[in-house]
Amino acid sequence: MQQVVNIPPRTAPDPRTETPKALGGSEVQHTPAGVPALEVVDLTRDFRSGFRRKRQRGIEGISFSVPPGIVFALLGHNGAGKTTTINCILDLVHSGGGRVRIFGREHTEPSARAAVGYLPERPYFFEHLSGRELLRFSAGLLHMDRARQAKEIPEILATVGLEEAADQRLRKYSKGMLQRIGLGQALLGDPDLLILDEPMSGLDPVGRRQVRELLQGLRDRGKTIIFSSHIVPDIEMLADEVAILNRGRLVAHHPLADLNRSTLYEVQAVIPSNREPQVLEGYTLTRHGGAVHIQADGVEELNGLLTLGAERRWKILGVGTRRSGLEELFMQTRDQGEAKS
Amino acid sequence: MMGTLTTLAYGTFRETVRDRLFYLVGIFGFIMLASTAVLSPLTIGAQSKIMVDVGLAAMAAFGLLVVVLVGSNMIRKEMDKGTIVTILARPVGRRQYLIGKFLGLNLTLACMLALMGGLFSLVLLVAPGTFSPAYLGAIYMALLEMVVINAVVVLFSTCVSAPLAAVATLGVFLIGHLSQSIRDFGDMQGTPLQQKIFAGLYYLVPNLEVFNIRGAVVHGDPIALAQFGIATVYCLGYAALLVILAGAVFRGKGLR
Repeated sequence: MQQVVNIPPRTAPDPRTETPKALGGSEVQHTPAGVPALEVVDLTRDFRSGFRRKRQRGIEGISFSVPPGIVFALLGHNGAGKTTTINCILDLVHSGGGRVRIFGREHTEPSARAAVGYLPERPYFFEHLSGRELLRFSAGLLHMDRARQAKEIPEILATVGLEEAADQRLRKYSKGMLQRIGLGQALLGDPDLLILDEPMSGLDPVGRRQVRELLQGLRDRGKTIIFSSHIVPDIEMLADEVAILNRGRLVAHHPLADLNRSTLYEVQAVIPSNREPQVLEGYTLTRHGGAVHIQADGVEELNGLLTLGAERRWKILGVGTRRSGLEELFMQTRDQGEAKS
Repeated sequence: MMGTLTTLAYGTFRETVRDRLFYLVGIFGFIMLASTAVLSPLTIGAQSKIMVDVGLAAMAAFGLLVVVLVGSNMIRKEMDKGTIVTILARPVGRRQYLIGKFLGLNLTLACMLALMGGLFSLVLLVAPGTFSPAYLGAIYMALLEMVVINAVVVLFSTCVSAPLAAVATLGVFLIGHLSQSIRDFGDMQGTPLQQKIFAGLYYLVPNLEVFNIRGAVVHGDPIALAQFGIATVYCLGYAALLVILAGAVFRGKGLR
């Protein structure tokens, strides 16, 4: 059994009892105060495979809680159990054990999923429908009245940048367009909880940036977002908390802020020689051309270095991440998993 | 509940209407009906009987083709392609989903039979001028039969692959029309064990002859109204039972 590295999560920013005004709608959705958006306890799932239907463990003993209003990331390499965990949360596959509650309600109750918007990995929709028709179909499943549909659907199409392709059949959509219409149908009904399985996969750099900005906007509006990814920088840019999965087990759960403290940064600056004295003693320095690259261990040291630079009028060329705390942890947990197997 | 069912049923209806296969079968059905008008002059003295017989049989055959081809793929395709997950991640129960799909295909069948029945009636009115309201009764009975077959294919498609569901449904269709004969054969010829097996088969498989009034209609025999009532109750009861059973099977199914 791998040891779970578990730092107590920080208090959620603004746990709320009601969401802001709905996207394009006038309704205010209420969520019970103090209840986690998602609570997963000891979730287990087995698979049967091969001719002899041999039992294989998919995920084992996964437990975590997601407070309302945060962005929570599930990080793991391919096959780590991210999609299986999400499928169990949404009762798309039945868990072999454990408990899942969505805003305090058992996940097996269909009504519990009324507050959830879901984007599957590799989204595939009815090809005979157009983007607009797909959104209308999804709105029907949410019992949305026609007036609200007429207001919300064009807004969502604009949000995901598919206004012009709205009446094209989905069979003509590119992979990126399918990803965006998938995100659009997840946003329909202004759900309090978004569960997105690899939301940035299949998108070009522009698309990735658009999705990132969209998710940041939703986070700012107090939505709870759970997304899976195997791309560390995406998680660093978006998430408040991260859970790392390895071989079907949750091996770490951290607030991102804690991990950023151990990130190694690098400040690139042009420093006049007469202003580069003993103050930089103890720092690791390298020189490239006319610039000095100074390493800072953690956010606090980086802040100190930038303050020093401002005082001494260095010309700062850039600040970068040399080694991310999350990446380091991810690699560390992966190596531990491989060593034990 | 009703909103969800309506959405799912209409979604299924729209999918089948936009399905090229459905159009091909529909066009083929209409061609068959039209061909009866061409063939009937060759059968002196029995024109209307031939037209009615061939027309009703063609409608039943194309209805069966649509149920088996579309029905066996309807749920399995969504499971294989993954479209089902975005539906069931919504506040939609699995039983609701199945009922919605079942109702949607029934709606397709009803529309298809109505269109074919309309054309059939028009041909009869125009050509020999021997239209009888009993023909509409036969079309209604064909629809009831297709509803039962639809429930059978929904049940099979939750358990086995699409081709296997199609074959099994055709098997039920055949046995369903021969069930009385099979039972009688067992009673007359079989050992006690065989008799029990044939009797079991008789009760297990729907008796589709309940819906077959084509012969009587063609020959102008009277049909009691009670027969329509019995057939309707039998159809609804049997179909409900099968859909409930399909729901129980589907509830335990992993979708990814």
